[in-house]
Amino acid sequence: MIDLGGRRVLLVEDESLVAMLGEDMLLDLGCEVEIAMRLDKAVALARGADIDMAILDVNLGETCSYPVADVLFERRIPFIFATGYGLAGIEPAYGAVPVMQKPYQIAQMERLLRHLVTCETLPTKAGGRPLACGCSPGAKTGGPQQMRAD
Amino acid sequence: MQTFDTTTTTLPTLRRDSQLHETERRLNAVLNNASVAIFLMDDRQHCVYMNRAAELLTGYSLTEVLARDCPLHDIVHHTYPDGRPFPLAECAIDRAFPENNQERGEEVFVHKDGHFYPVGFTASPIRDDEARIIGTIIEVRDITEEKAAAERQRLLTNELNHRVKNTLATVQSIAAQTFRGKTDTAARQTFDARMVALSNTHNVLTAQNWQSANLRSVVEGALAPHALAEVDTGRFDLVGPDTRLHPKVAVTLAMALHELMTNAAKYGALSVPEGRVGVSWTLEPTGAGERLDLVWTEQGGPPVTEPTRKGFGSRLIERQLPMEFDGTATLAFAPTGVTCHLCVPLTALGWHGQDLVTGRAAR
Repeated sequence: MIDLGGRRVLLVEDESLVAMLGEDMLLDLGCEVEIAMRLDKAVALARGADIDMAILDVNLGETCSYPVADVLFERRIPFIFATGYGLAGIEPAYGAVPVMQKPYQIAQMERLLRHLVTCETLPTKAGGRPLACGCSPGAKTGGPQQMRAD
Repeated sequence: MQTFDTTTTTLPTLRRDSQLHETERRLNAVLNNASVAIFLMDDRQHCVYMNRAAELLTGYSLTEVLARDCPLHDIVHHTYPDGRPFPLAECAIDRAFPENNQERGEEVFVHKDGHFYPVGFTASPIRDDEARIIGTIIEVRDITEEKAAAERQRLLTNELNHRVKNTLATVQSIAAQTFRGKTDTAARQTFDARMVALSNTHNVLTAQNWQSANLRSVVEGALAPHALAEVDTGRFDLVGPDTRLHPKVAVTLAMALHELMTNAAKYGALSVPEGRVGVSWTLEPTGAGERLDLVWTEQGGPPVTEPTRKGFGSRLIERQLPMEFDGTATLAFAPTGVTCHLCVPLTALGWHGQDLVTGRAAR
């Protein structure tokens, strides 16, 4: 089993109370957390911070986190989106990025972060569907065809 | 679409010498291509001219209106929507005449085919060379679409209010069912109080259609013992000007104040009868808008000691709040009483509709 301990995660989330929850979950998973709650800081951290992966809340109040995603694509840092709107809420160009459904659940977060660590196919900007890499992070053991209904 | 003999829809009084004729042609082109209905009334409130848009709006041609030889009111505005007759003496458009330029209002007209339709009007007097009022010009537009859109908006907002409230209540119920007998009563009470604080803030937001919340209402909502109660002025001094807050600021600020109040009630000034809490704030203009400086001061409580571990409240106030709004927060556990200084830029977010809400838009 891949250990997430010590992985450095950028968490971009604009609501204070939700950010606290996300941070706690990441800390429980053994990750080190950098939080950004505003777009400018998120972009700065995505550009400069020493991070292994990221979780981006899509909707940051009046703006979206796509500029952060673009920087992460450029730096080839894997990331997932978090959204309460479902897949339809993601712009098609970012359709290949794995999506974590809000409200946050630690099991889902853990599976998707593990996926980011293990999957060798990095999504790119320009579309596609989530997990086009063929992985199924829903499965407990590996194998692209195994799915679990959780 | 109805069509009329528009050859009669021309300005009535101009003589046909060549220059006047040219002017008349231009005016008719303007008037008959305007999408707003325009009525020209004489001093008896008889319509002496109406443009093509007015004919389409009312269902009557100018010829028909002239032939009736009666106040326009009796042709297009004669009945209330409930069926009662609508005498000219009660007509707001008639009363607008002849006092001021651009009197505005809304009325409900009756179409030639009998159906009612809401209109917005603007009425202005026409004066002669001696500035005597000799008539009125009335612009009228059909506002059925606007009325329908406003109604849809109202229904949606009601639905949103209802759902948010229900969701909060549902979360509360799930927590109650889940933790029944498994967690201590104090933790449950803390949770319930936080849910109520959140719910109270949403009350303030719903009052303004989720666009903004009044700072004073947010502060009062957070400090009142429950939603229907007033702030106890024997314990709290609230001093500061009102302003409108973005919903995000409102929610986080209310939660921060709730945590300060809960702490004061448990360990601080509100834990003894003689303790008091001052909440004072100022608004300083900045380049992008204004900055809120809010100070919470407790006095008269038992001697304060710095807590050994940072709880939810300190974390929210000292860490999240400054990060969320690009502000600062200082929480000090002075022996004489807790103080907290929050500094929040109120326009740093640049959110949609901000100008509208803060009244900065050019009108």
